[in-house]
Amino acid sequence: MSLLVELSNVGRDFDSGRIVAVDDVSLAIEDDETVAIVGRSGSGKSTILNLVCGLDRPTRGEVRFEGRAVNGRAAWAAVRASRIGIVFQNFFLLQSLSAGENIEVALLGNLGGARQRRIRALELLAHFGLAERATLRPAELSGGERQRLAIARALANRPKLLVADEPTGSLDVQTSQSVMSIIGNVHREFGTAVIVVTHDEEVAALCGRRVEISDGRIRSDSRVAAISTPTPASRTR
Amino acid sequence: MTELTLPLRGLIARPLRTLLTILGIALAVAGFVALTGLTAGVQHSFASGIDENGADLVVSQRGAFNLVSSTVPRSLGSGLSAVPDVEAVSGVLLNITTADDAANIVMAGWPAGSFLWNDMHLLAGRIPAPGDQWPVILGESIATALDKRVGDTVELQFQPYQIVGIASFSSVLNQNSAIVPLEGLQQLLSREDVFTLYEVRLKRPLDKNDVAVARTRLMAAAPGFEVGDTEQFANSIRIFDLLQAIAQTISLAVMAMASVAVANTLLMAVNERTFEIGVLAALGWSPRRILRLILIEGVFMSAAGGVIGIILGALAMEMAAKTKFAAGLIVPYLSGWSIVQALIFVFIAGPLGALYPAWRATRLLPADALRRI
Ligand SMILES: Nc1ncnc2c1ncn2[C@@H]1O[C@H](COP(=O)(O)OP(=O)(O)OP(=O)(O)O)[C@@H](O)[C@H]1O
Ligand SMILES: [Mg+2]
Repeated sequence: MSLLVELSNVGRDFDSGRIVAVDDVSLAIEDDETVAIVGRSGSGKSTILNLVCGLDRPTRGEVRFEGRAVNGRAAWAAVRASRIGIVFQNFFLLQSLSAGENIEVALLGNLGGARQRRIRALELLAHFGLAERATLRPAELSGGERQRLAIARALANRPKLLVADEPTGSLDVQTSQSVMSIIGNVHREFGTAVIVVTHDEEVAALCGRRVEISDGRIRSDSRVAAISTPTPASRTR
Repeated sequence: MTELTLPLRGLIARPLRTLLTILGIALAVAGFVALTGLTAGVQHSFASGIDENGADLVVSQRGAFNLVSSTVPRSLGSGLSAVPDVEAVSGVLLNITTADDAANIVMAGWPAGSFLWNDMHLLAGRIPAPGDQWPVILGESIATALDKRVGDTVELQFQPYQIVGIASFSSVLNQNSAIVPLEGLQQLLSREDVFTLYEVRLKRPLDKNDVAVARTRLMAAAPGFEVGDTEQFANSIRIFDLLQAIAQTISLAVMAMASVAVANTLLMAVNERTFEIGVLAALGWSPRRILRLILIEGVFMSAAGGVIGIILGALAMEMAAKTKFAAGLIVPYLSGWSIVQALIFVFIAGPLGALYPAWRATRLLPADALRRI
């Protein structure tokens, strides 16, 4: 167990200081944790998640990944490429590419050889029950299939950290549950740390740690015995 | 998929815009190829037109502005004839006018008995004989264009001429020219004691060295005048420099506009694809890789535009040369150098136009890019 991400007194303002979206947040996440970030709409959850992944730049404070301060777009891109998989609420799949290519595009910088990329993409699709969907465009997939594709893409480079912003927000109850069980399985099978932003308490209950945000600050931070707590044996990969 | 898949899909996803940009680049390149090709062609056609009639060297006025404005005095002739190895010299008068007010034509006045008449390949009729009233030999192309036969009349320099022969030439200039006796043309132009140039024929056999030696001797015999082979003569005419300068300036302006068009298209494409760029950044694509993506799109469009442009330019030249008014004066001349220049432009200006939008794309924070849906 070691420290994966560390936010130290991080703040993020918008509109030249008129909007303080995140204020003085300090948060350390271990490499085997499952963390739920909860809070009302507009409380700053997505902004924190963006800062964790380097998609956004903090106005104040520092973000460290695996013990190192990461600065600049190129450095963050390199971290994301090899260490972080991101699942967005709205899937954010590329419409001009097929399901398989959507995974391959994430591998492009990391895995040399079109053939190797193709094979890895097909493996991942098969793992998520999408083998027969490989050549379809995202528009031709169902909501649940799209979300599974988004997860498969996020896992393409075998990340240390899986980050998901409202992964079930646009899915019905049943599909949400299956998506959450997939994310839980990913955590168990690959030992991937997971951070989930959600306002679904059922989803939050599946996580080992619960961080509550309001008005851009951490209100509470508690570890609970979650259903998906990792078993030590599954952490080897 | 490879690095090229995404840029290609991006281009295909917006077919109309892609086509219009490629067309814009193609027209710019076509303009460049046609303009520079036509000016070079005019020059080339003059050189080969004079060559063909058996002249080895040309004596003309130094720094003459155009073909017709060169003046050499009749008095120079005896000195030139006296140069060793010179077989014959012929004073020639050239004039550009219209034939029957319908087509531009070069009139060449040749002295009776000149060596110039010897190599002429007559298709019909004969060469002018003493006693002919205003006889003319038309080049085959202009005769066809004007639908003239031996025995018809053609008005040249406001003077009706009798067509006594039709001749075939290999150079486009001569194919579209009218050859008349020197004296009549001198009268019409009031240039009795001057010629446009002297054409010099050297004794056979002849090698390169002989020509060089003769040239030096002729320069001594005609101090202050230009002595050169036909290509040098064409190069010495200053209007060609002017034409070239104009053509190059216009083409540069057109090409600059084309790069702005590329930049604009890519800027729009980048704006429209801000979201896609945000997704790629979120997936860990480095700013450099994203930059390359946009640049590849730019290069694709430029390359396609360049190739199409060269083809269009060549076609445009052919068409321009076929118009009646340009016949003989404009000759399509697609030089390797102008193709190289066009391709250099395409591979520099295209990416240059793409650079700014690409740079902008990489400046954007992924979070900002993803908010814009
Ligand atoms: N780029 C931005 N420009 C201006 N204001 C922003 C920007 N991003 C976020 N905000 C503001 O910051 C605050 C926090 O936004 P954030 O998206 O983090 O909330 P959230 O907790 O994710 O909400 P939700 O549950 O609705 O997704 C909001 O008031 C939002 O309007
Ligand atoms: Mg949010």
